[in-house]
Amino acid sequence: MPRASSQSTATRAGHWAVIALAIVLAIIGLILLGGGVYLVVLGGSWYYAIAGLLLLASGVLLFRFERAGALVYAAAWAFTLAWTIWEVQFDWWAWVPRMVAPTVLLVLVLLALPARRARMSQAA
Amino acid sequence: MSHVSVPALLSAATLLLAPLPAPAQGTEPAAELTPVPPEGPTDQSPAPQTPPEAEPTGDETGTADVDPVMQAQDLPEVGADWPFWGGDAQATRYSPLDQITPENVEGLERAFVYHTGDMPEGTAEGKYSPEITPLKVGDDILTCSAMNVLISVDAATGEENWRYDPGVPNEAIPYGATCRGVSIWTDPEAAEGDICSTRVIEATLDAKLIALDARTGDPCEEFGENGMVDLWQDVGERVPGWYAVTAPPVLVRGVIVTGAQVKDGQAEDAPSGVIRGFDARTGELAWAWDLGAPEENRDGPPEGEIYTRGTPNMWTTAVADEELGYVYLPMGNSSVDYYGSNRSEAENEYSTALVAIDATTGEVAWTFQTVHRDVWDYDLGSQPTLVDFPQDGDAVPAIILPSKQGDIYVLNRETGESLQPVEENPVPSRGEIEPDYISPTQPASSYHQIRFEPLEERDMYGMSPIDQLFCRIQFRRANYEGFFQPPTAEAPFIQYPGYNGGSDWGSVAVDTDRGIIVANYNNIPNYNQLIPQEETDWPIITDGGDSGEGAGGNAPQEGAPYSIRINAGWRAPFTGMPCTQPPYGGIRAIDLETGETLWDRPLGTARRNGPFGVPSKLPLNIGTPNNGGSVVTAGGLIFIAAATDNLIRAIDIETGETLWTDVLPAGGQANPISYEVDGRQYVMIAPGGHHFMGTGVSDAVISYALPE
Repeated sequence: MPRASSQSTATRAGHWAVIALAIVLAIIGLILLGGGVYLVVLGGSWYYAIAGLLLLASGVLLFRFERAGALVYAAAWAFTLAWTIWEVQFDWWAWVPRMVAPTVLLVLVLLALPARRARMSQAA
Repeated sequence: MSHVSVPALLSAATLLLAPLPAPAQGTEPAAELTPVPPEGPTDQSPAPQTPPEAEPTGDETGTADVDPVMQAQDLPEVGADWPFWGGDAQATRYSPLDQITPENVEGLERAFVYHTGDMPEGTAEGKYSPEITPLKVGDDILTCSAMNVLISVDAATGEENWRYDPGVPNEAIPYGATCRGVSIWTDPEAAEGDICSTRVIEATLDAKLIALDARTGDPCEEFGENGMVDLWQDVGERVPGWYAVTAPPVLVRGVIVTGAQVKDGQAEDAPSGVIRGFDARTGELAWAWDLGAPEENRDGPPEGEIYTRGTPNMWTTAVADEELGYVYLPMGNSSVDYYGSNRSEAENEYSTALVAIDATTGEVAWTFQTVHRDVWDYDLGSQPTLVDFPQDGDAVPAIILPSKQGDIYVLNRETGESLQPVEENPVPSRGEIEPDYISPTQPASSYHQIRFEPLEERDMYGMSPIDQLFCRIQFRRANYEGFFQPPTAEAPFIQYPGYNGGSDWGSVAVDTDRGIIVANYNNIPNYNQLIPQEETDWPIITDGGDSGEGAGGNAPQEGAPYSIRINAGWRAPFTGMPCTQPPYGGIRAIDLETGETLWDRPLGTARRNGPFGVPSKLPLNIGTPNNGGSVVTAGGLIFIAAATDNLIRAIDIETGETLWTDVLPAGGQANPISYEVDGRQYVMIAPGGHHFMGTGVSDAVISYALPE
């Protein structure tokens, strides 16, 4: 019994962590989308608006514990990587603002996968 | 005290020697030499005084009026001593010492740490940027502290010999409490051992010119009033902090030459930028160069009048050619920096120009302007360096002039002509604020430019895509068509390079044996905007408080139709991350003869920098903003701190590689020196920190040497 209870505590913590991550992704997505659209209007890069849209989508999906949330985020990360190489090639200092934070989020999203699975199996 | 009579004896000796023709007189027409001092000696002159209107007769008796102080004198050399702010009289910052080498520098350790005891108190808190470079003469270190306390310290032990506190009040602090250094002058007529035979000369934040005996620290009584001359004389209303001297005066032919830091950006009606020469023996005015009234005010303004207000000033250090008798003044801008339509023609001619003055007459010999009609605060900040420049198998007497825009010019120092072609490039735009005032072209050096490509949106930075996005939006919102983008009011404008350079007061060092210029530089844009005067009610700072300009922020520019909002260093809010990509500063070696870059590298690690102002502790050589210069030694090393990482480092001059570092108690925004005592080579730095650069504050003066 104690074992089962600690497992469910862990599951509950994982549950809230996923919710928190989903909210963070959605907020970042909204900021990038809003600012990104303004940047496009000013004649600047399209990257931020697109990335914002992807992050917002991944946040909403993750909030609903849908597997696609992680997939969409992975796609956003891959898009960011491709864009970084296109825009600054291998100038490593220029990679810092572009890749560091998105990669930290990628790790968190991957860590969230088991929690999602646990939640799914619990639901089943 | 017995020495009271000595100055009197000295004066007598001066009078007796006055009529003697000087050996180093050279080709100067005698009639052009201004008699100094004006009264007294003429009575006893054996020859009749030449009337000022008289044609030069070629008769050498005409020199009877000439004070011997006006003759070229033998100057001390750099080596065991560091007798000038720039090392030698040429300001090369090159030491012939070679005990410390790339092979043994790893063993360099602290020989002693001296504390000046001058730390900020009360209202001076947060305003310290001492920027001190000491001198070493004989057995002594001669230095000032941030608040102008003059100090002599034993150069081998760090024990204090004497100190003299001129009592500078906190309210006198202009932008920062700064004393870049002092100067010395040895009286050629005095016997060694006479009191005040060698003098320490300092100009203070509260605009006093002080002369002390180098051995005892006693004021030189024959100089001004008990060793002090008041520089506020004839400058007008005293507003503390508006007229302050932060740079060491330069001596040429026995004349002390000084300008002053005039508070930037406050009002058009600011103190004059007049440059004055004072007799190093008596402290009497030798001449004044008031660019608004050069003839009328040469001997000081008429009774009841003052020097022309608001003219371009010289806040940095000049350099002099003792043989030629010229002093080279790196001039700044008018007191209102970002608007120019109301400037006089004389201001337009001399602002941000190098001006050569004949120190025997106070007259302009030549000028070389680095920015036409400067509305970017690109004032000349570096002390120029004198070299024999190799050209076509000859050695041309030249002067190296680095600028904040990153141009390095090499000029013939007799004529002011550039030894290489000077480009005159069209500007990207003349803007809408004052298109008729903005110069359609600007000069650039074809010899060397420390300048990067114009900014693009992708150069924007941040710690994450969010602040990078913010900076990109700022970039797109701003007016920016490239270098020399004129100021704008309807939207911000980007000024790149920013007003910190390029090259600033740290100046360049020149290894005259290897033929290498070592230049450290900043690479940071400013993000500014003009604001119509009626939309602001920014107060003019009259209490010595912190103000716009240097600190970044707002400057009222009273008298001009616009105020200016300055974002120096252009950072994103919240994270405090710079909006542009590193490096923010670097150092490079340049071949003296060809102007080609030998190596170039970022200067400064990220250990004390990071998002939200949190030190990252990373030893990554990111290249930080830096202020302060280098010393190059014959041993093949460059010693420099300057960066915001609070490290002093030794760099191999051949490769640019860092071979040794030490953590300083605060930022080394100061120039290091090298000297020798009893066959042992020392490297010294006064790491005082810098309030605006966020590098702490310290009163330490640290000397390094190899273990004995």
